Amino acid sequence: MIPQQPVYLEDKVDEIRQSGRLDYRSQALPTWCPGCGYYSVTEGLANALNDLQIEKENTVVVSGIGCASRFPFFMDTYGFHTLHGRALPVATGIKVANEKLTVVAIGGDGDGFAIGGGHIPHAARRNVDITYILFDNGIYGLTKGQVSPTSAIGFKTSTSPFENRDAPLNPLLMLLSYGASWVGQTYAGWPHHLAGLVQQALEHPGFSYLHVLSPCVTFDKTDRTYQNLDLTVRELDSDHDSSDLALAMQAASDTRSPALGLYYTSQRETLGQALDQVALRAGAGG
Amino acid sequence: MAYDTDIQISICGSAGDGTIAVGDIFKRAMAHIGYRVIAFDQYPAEIRGFGKCIARTRVATSRVYSMKGYSDVLVSLNDLHAIPHVGEVRNYGALIYDSAPMSAVAEGAHISGHLKPGHIPYALPMREVSELATGANRSRNFVALGFVAGLYQLPQDAFHHAIAAKFESKAAAVTKSALAAFDSGFEAGAASYQFDDVRIDAPRGRKSTHEARMMTGNGAIVQGCLDAGIETFFGYPITPATGIMEHLAVEMPRHGGRLVQTEDEIAAISAAIGAGYAGSRAATATSGPGLSLMTEMMGLGVMAEVPVVIFVSQRGGPSTGLPTKTEQSDLNLAVWGGHGDARRIVLAPTNVEGCRRCAGRAFEIAEQFQVPVIVLVDLYLSNRYETVFLQDENEFLPKNWKPATTPGAGYRRYELTTDGVSPRCIPGEAGGIHTATGLEHDEYGNPSDNSGTHSLMTQKRHEKLQAAIKHPGINFTKRFGDSGKVEVGLLTWGSSFGEALEAMLLAQQEGIRCAAMKVVMLSPFPVRSVLRFYKDCQQILVPELNYTGQFAKLLTSEIALPVTRISHATGAPLDVANLVEAIRRAARKHRRRHNAA
Amino acid sequence: MPSSTHHVVLGNGIAGNHAASVIREREPDSRITIVSAGALLFYNRYDLPNVFRGRQHWVDYLVHPPEYYESRNITLRRKTQVTELDTRTQTLSLAHRETLHYDKLLIATGGHAYIPERLLDYTKLMLGFHNFIVAMQAQKSVRKGGTVIMLGGDVMGIDLARTVIATGHRVILVLDSRTFWPHEVTPSERVKYLQALTNMGVEVQDSGRVERIEMISGTGSARRVFLENGEHIRGDVVMPFYGLVPTVDFLATSGIDMERGILVNPQLQTVRDNIWAAGDVCQIWSAKHNAYRFFYGYRNVKAMGEVAAHNMTGKKATFTSTVSEELVINRDGTLYSPYWEYD
Ligand SMILES: Cc1cc2nc3c(=O)[nH]c(=O)nc-3n(C[C@H](O)[C@H](O)[C@H](O)COP(=O)(O)OP(=O)(O)OC[C@H]3O[C@@H](n4cnc5c(N)ncnc54)[C@H](O)[C@@H]3O)c2cc1C
Ligand SMILES: Cc1ncc(C[n+]2csc(CCOP(=O)(O)OP(=O)(O)O)c2C)c(N)n1
Ligand code: SF4
Repeated sequence: MIPQQPVYLEDKVDEIRQSGRLDYRSQALPTWCPGCGYYSVTEGLANALNDLQIEKENTVVVSGIGCASRFPFFMDTYGFHTLHGRALPVATGIKVANEKLTVVAIGGDGDGFAIGGGHIPHAARRNVDITYILFDNGIYGLTKGQVSPTSAIGFKTSTSPFENRDAPLNPLLMLLSYGASWVGQTYAGWPHHLAGLVQQALEHPGFSYLHVLSPCVTFDKTDRTYQNLDLTVRELDSDHDSSDLALAMQAASDTRSPALGLYYTSQRETLGQALDQVALRAGAGG
Repeated sequence: MAYDTDIQISICGSAGDGTIAVGDIFKRAMAHIGYRVIAFDQYPAEIRGFGKCIARTRVATSRVYSMKGYSDVLVSLNDLHAIPHVGEVRNYGALIYDSAPMSAVAEGAHISGHLKPGHIPYALPMREVSELATGANRSRNFVALGFVAGLYQLPQDAFHHAIAAKFESKAAAVTKSALAAFDSGFEAGAASYQFDDVRIDAPRGRKSTHEARMMTGNGAIVQGCLDAGIETFFGYPITPATGIMEHLAVEMPRHGGRLVQTEDEIAAISAAIGAGYAGSRAATATSGPGLSLMTEMMGLGVMAEVPVVIFVSQRGGPSTGLPTKTEQSDLNLAVWGGHGDARRIVLAPTNVEGCRRCAGRAFEIAEQFQVPVIVLVDLYLSNRYETVFLQDENEFLPKNWKPATTPGAGYRRYELTTDGVSPRCIPGEAGGIHTATGLEHDEYGNPSDNSGTHSLMTQKRHEKLQAAIKHPGINFTKRFGDSGKVEVGLLTWGSSFGEALEAMLLAQQEGIRCAAMKVVMLSPFPVRSVLRFYKDCQQILVPELNYTGQFAKLLTSEIALPVTRISHATGAPLDVANLVEAIRRAARKHRRRHNAA
Repeated sequence: MPSSTHHVVLGNGIAGNHAASVIREREPDSRITIVSAGALLFYNRYDLPNVFRGRQHWVDYLVHPPEYYESRNITLRRKTQVTELDTRTQTLSLAHRETLHYDKLLIATGGHAYIPERLLDYTKLMLGFHNFIVAMQAQKSVRKGGTVIMLGGDVMGIDLARTVIATGHRVILVLDSRTFWPHEVTPSERVKYLQALTNMGVEVQDSGRVERIEMISGTGSARRVFLENGEHIRGDVVMPFYGLVPTVDFLATSGIDMERGILVNPQLQTVRDNIWAAGDVCQIWSAKHNAYRFFYGYRNVKAMGEVAAHNMTGKKATFTSTVSEELVINRDGTLYSPYWEYD
């Protein structure tokens, strides 16, 4: 997926301007470290929104706290940079208040699976019609390099100086078992794949979870680096059936060579539809 | 001489006796007849088993403000539970009990052996009467209710209506046997010679043009929410706030609102803030433990200037504390809780009607000042019933916030304006795009740790709230009693104000010049009017239901003047008689000093 | 004597209350319980005719205020009907299915109106005068200037008749062998006393005994009384005054010796060491009469309470009556009974 042909900067800038996707980017310069995997997600989301022709004033990007969660500042959409771990419930509130909005929740692995871990199952089971993009760098970036719930065993950080001994979570397996109706995985090093999946996730009616493997170039020099990920990631089997939950779980269990792509998707009542049903039963307006 | 009816009747039984049910019918029937009613039920903490239930109802021809410290009538449906409460009945008051218990009782276990000489006993074979009337002993409670109605010659049809309404959704046989039991009890009561001196005269005067309704504090909060057009609610069950969510869960979907039970209180306040950010009238409700969890997110609401309403009904604390007992010990948390300089608005209604008003106004105030608003009540107010006269249902203003004058490129979400309130846009408005954040930020909302920005923004967030003290349609302080200089002044808040007012009225009857002020807005603090009151009083007493004197401390920190604390932390409401004694003592002290001078 | 002795006094009348107060004086620490079938505190039944004079609040008849019992630490159990006495286990069974243990028991349950057997079918058509409620009912039943028909005419009835007449009503008295009960009168005295009754304004009806009583429909308590000779009279209310019978039904299985009342020695002790009796309920051995006999009236009954209390608290005392048992004709020709005296 690495581009084969040389790319000239002017051509690229021109192409980007014309595409309109720059409209979705704010003028604030990202505060991320150069090379951080998060850039590609910004790009990917802008692309997808543009391609889907979703008005930026009808888009809200909601984040928690962390490097990843800085995301809303770099988009020219409505944004809510909330609290550490609370992106999902805030996003849920926004969606419940206004179903017309496209709501994207963003956060890191600490934000989502440590402090905010209690919210994920509930967003998933309620099938809130939002997209949750989780940037998994296996480390706490913003607080400068501590161990995270997805850090590998043996990983050394400032708070695991004698190597991490806590087993990492398997986010994909969790989300599949929580009942998320759309679960996919991508990699910051494959920006086109990433952009494609972001778009699919946005199009899915219901709760879509996109797991992004993303290196922290500053605090992780040994584990989840571009070099290591480039060698281990692969695409999901071409005959993968994304309507088969058991198959998806099986694929998610392979953590040694993470597969990228759409693991699972299904259609069921969203929270918004459920609330409309409640209103009907209650005899709304009567 | 015009006689003011003012009696309190308590029905005491065990869970399963139908104590609360007949208490409910009694108060509804009395309200329907036209009395002013206040009622407060006490439930067992445990759900199963045979815990104690007491339904206390105060019935009066003119307005009353609290429960009485004693009862005029006590009905026992379970002697073991009722015996400890015999002492709350006054001399020449009535005790009504079952003289035909199911099985033999041990010596000392029947209530008749515990009556004081001044009590009037009414031994009613409730079980036998119930069996005769309905074929089963289950309707003892209705026999007892009927007896009360018959003894005091209350209109039978008002009770028939209330019973029929109560069992509307049940099988017809249920209503039938309840009515049969009630009528048999009524007959027995009417045939009994009334030895007690409890008088329930017909309500006098003109009926209010507004319909009288029986409502709890929680019910009134719900009514306020609905009248204000609440759109979204997110909550997590916790006693004593659960009733708010349960009631809204029925009502909101009918009125186009949406309600979600979240996974915890953090999610509840988060979602409510998300919804508030998105422009809806959003609220949550909780008690102390939940409020503790919500404080961080409330800080975000303050920082990002998001309107949201948080209903908090206090119970005994700390920790899980006394879930079914009342206390006013979350004032500190409500007013100050959380990190940073995070002033929010805290309203504490003092009665059921106030619950509705504060609830409705809270949405307006939250929107107008772009800030979380806490409406702080306690279990006693949440659960106590009062007759309320609902005024115009649409008195609360529809959503109306300062719109952006120059949306578009130059739009500044946190513009520094003279009143501190910035133009607000919500998602969906093309020119208003911005990112709200909990980081300190500049006028555009961009993160900034510039020291000048921080001090200007902190000031803006505080100063904008000052104008809330003048928000129309609600009294944030109100003075009662003697005007001008007085010997003793009572300053208090929340549910305790009812007892304070009753005590003040009694002290006035004893010739003590006395006044009482309720403080409904706790944050920002209405310093001026409180100071004015303070200056009129020789002595200031501050009664409240907590150990540390949280309101007294708030008061002294705001006005920097000494007060006398009357702290009471037993899990029960204040005792009016004790309060009157405190007033007397204060008045004596003042007079001694006065005479010495 | 252990201070925790539980003295149970059965009966909330003159005998019981006086006994309780004497026991308390003598034993400040013992436990005292008065048991009463009625709802009210001890009140003065001798005063009840005053309901006809408009004294209609029961509190006005109270002998002691509630505080009296509280300050003396005397437990008063009202609406508590004793159904059985078990002397072996020293327990009283109460109608509401509770029991009450005693160490020492004084039975002072008094008496209730005697109704001749032939009139038992008409009990519901008559109104007694034995307690406050009934007294109020009686008063309410009589119209202004209306008529009270008294049957029998014991001294309680004659006492009431005085007030009824004084308040502007008629009293028709249907004579019986028990007229003037409990005074025993010779036939010649009887003629004198009947004249005295007439002097007092009582309309004496001597046309034979009552045969039956009928309700007059459309009225509350108005009745027609048919006499043996076929005549009938009409009254607003019919009240039986045939004297009292002791209240002892609950003692049937107790093994306490009884004739009509409870048999006691002059120390008022029953056959059981720890059970005494006083008041209208007991028959006291009288050496003079060589028989057990009743002593009525306030003074006698109060004295019995005192004697029993002394014996119950370890001081020997003996009952002797000082009350004259003779009816008297006043100078104005009216009748006077020493049993009417009370203080
Ligand atoms: C209306 C009235 C007027 C009278 N007027 C006169 C008069 O003018 N002159 C005169 O000489 N005499 C009069 N008498 C008779 C006089 O009352 C008695 O001599 C005297 O009151 C007897 O007192 P006592 O204490 O023995 O019993 P009482 O005063 O009769 O008291 C008996 C008590 O025993 C209680 N009791 C009875 N059975 C039970 C039970 N099973 N369980 C629990 N408690 C029980 C009753 O509740 C009552 O409290 C009158 C009596 C009455 C009823
Ligand atoms: C309640 C709370 N605790 C701790 C923090 C400090 N904190 C900020 S970000 C962060 C972890 C960030 O890690 P992650 O979520 O993985 O995001 P990344 O920075 O790696 O993108 C922590 C612990 C906080 N802001 N709030
Ligand atoms: S610290 Fe790591 S995660 Fe954070 S911006 Fe830098 S590279 Fe990215």
